[in-house]
Amino acid sequence: MAELIAARDLVVELGAERGLLKRRAGVRAVDGVSLSVAAGETFGVVGESGCGKTTLARTLLGLQRESGGEIRLEGALVSGASPAQARRQRAAVQYVHQDPGAALDPWWRVGATLAEGLRIQGTTDRAEATVRIAEILRAVGLDPALGDRYPHELSGGQQRRIGLARILLLRPKLVILDEPTAGLDLSVQAAVLRLLRDLRDRFGLTYLFISHDLSVVRRVCDQVAVMYLGRIVEQAPTAELFAQPRHPYTRALLAAAPRLGAQASVPGLRGDPPSLRAIPSGCRFHPRCPLADAICAAEEPTKQSVAAGHDVCCHHWRDAA
Amino acid sequence: MSDMLADSPEAAPSLLSVRDLAVHIRTDGGLARILDGVSFDLPPGGTLGIVGESGCGKSTLLRAILGILPKGARVPQGQVLFQGQDILRAPVRGRIGFIPQDPYLSLNPVFRAGDQLLEGMRRHASGSRDEHRRKLVSLFQAVQLPEPENALDKYPHQFSGGQRQRLLIAAALACDPDLVVADEPTTALDVTTQLEILALLRGLTAERGMGLLFVTHDFGVLSAVCEDVAVLYAGRVADWGPTGNVLADPRHPYTRMLLACHPDRATDLVGIPGTVPAATAQPPGCRFHPRCPIARPVCSQAVPEPLRIFDGSRVACPFHADPLPEVALG
Repeated sequence: MAELIAARDLVVELGAERGLLKRRAGVRAVDGVSLSVAAGETFGVVGESGCGKTTLARTLLGLQRESGGEIRLEGALVSGASPAQARRQRAAVQYVHQDPGAALDPWWRVGATLAEGLRIQGTTDRAEATVRIAEILRAVGLDPALGDRYPHELSGGQQRRIGLARILLLRPKLVILDEPTAGLDLSVQAAVLRLLRDLRDRFGLTYLFISHDLSVVRRVCDQVAVMYLGRIVEQAPTAELFAQPRHPYTRALLAAAPRLGAQASVPGLRGDPPSLRAIPSGCRFHPRCPLADAICAAEEPTKQSVAAGHDVCCHHWRDAA
Repeated sequence: MSDMLADSPEAAPSLLSVRDLAVHIRTDGGLARILDGVSFDLPPGGTLGIVGESGCGKSTLLRAILGILPKGARVPQGQVLFQGQDILRAPVRGRIGFIPQDPYLSLNPVFRAGDQLLEGMRRHASGSRDEHRRKLVSLFQAVQLPEPENALDKYPHQFSGGQRQRLLIAAALACDPDLVVADEPTTALDVTTQLEILALLRGLTAERGMGLLFVTHDFGVLSAVCEDVAVLYAGRVADWGPTGNVLADPRHPYTRMLLACHPDRATDLVGIPGTVPAATAQPPGCRFHPRCPIARPVCSQAVPEPLRIFDGSRVACPFHADPLPEVALG
């Protein structure tokens, strides 16, 4: 499969100030991330809050400027531009907000919200806009009459469908889904996941799927990258990652996820992730790692290949078998 | 419905017994029958999970048990018996601990943690302020809060989300309650923290012999914590029984279809057709019948009585033994 979007050694620094006299260093929310998403696949990014998932998404989208590294979209270099310019270059990349209710203007009928995107992209013909909006509402399983409603009149599942319709109108190639099932009931979640799969097949979409729900990720993603404190610590095809996780953090994450019908296992991990302002030396996971020894505190592990398509950043991945 | 409970083998009297409880709220859109004929028991030291999707009445049930029903709510029938006493008529103080859902919203940011926790103890527990302080410090040790001696003097923002939830668990246990009620206490937390908090909550209530009523929408969390489960749908109990049995062999068509939606289980993701009815427009008869693939004419006429089945579970569906069509289960 052809590569749709790729990042190499991407670094994003947040909150840095460069004054006349003093410089204040920011935090590196994304620190040396490389990934490659093939056209048509669903690429999962998992990790705990503060690991840099959303910053990575905003940077790929062009809303956040990278401090280092490069981004390629369909082979063309798109990094290094100002945010406004970056968004124009990356019109093929669209983002579905985590909270679809908050992303809709409460004073606008949803039809008007949908038309706004078309107008910004240059569709000025009203009749054409109306036809396309009705068509896309049907595609996400909604009655086109819903376009006359206000956001508060819709259920959580319907709002999420509107959020999808809004970006599908813009004919994206890559859709970044930020926690697309957070806050949804189980039955609605199942319907939304099914819709996402159908839309992917119908419109030839590629998904970057950001989630902390490992059960969902396991179900819908082809590839999974695990992030910890701004780094990808392990990446593999989904089946392989869940069957043979090699990084101790991935193993702890999988063990901690509550699974249907499973008794609570012993907590494998102590404490909260450290702050980005005080990143530990060497391997950033070593203070919480059950396998850590002297080399982990001293030396940052490099990416090592476990199998084809399965990479891990750990000195002791062979011991975690 | 009380007959159904009378024949249950209750060696020990229940810690909490909800009997045929209905809660109605008058709204602009008409009378909302939020809860209707809800019954279940929690033995002393037991753990019961209440699961259901949004709008099923979980929060109202919780508020009824805590005695904090909103203004305008009426209880036309039923009882909530706590150690045999009807707490809807005679509220108890300090015997029920509560752990809220959101550790970020539940502490006042401008007061020290200690002052907020001590206020509750001053109102509900005997003893001096110094005794209360010592009690809290020992609880902070039990919930594994870092630097338990200094925690009383810190402000909420000085704790992480997981630490705040530990603080709130300590607050819930501070008056030595007999029952702890937890409202989705880990939804705001990361998975690795969630597991620790759940293990802690389960351990502390078990060693102190406290009952635990645990409201959640996450079946994974439920399996990790609760011995028994009651599945709510549209204000009624669909299934009630041992968690392992309900998860392995769900009986009510709603529970069967809901579990088929779980990503760990579904072979194909289908969802449940239709939506949960509005509380002001509950369908007659079985409230699930408009969405049920095996509904018969009787389902829209008679409210199904909970039936005891072989393993002690109860299911509110006379056709629970009928197979569902393949397509409904994916």
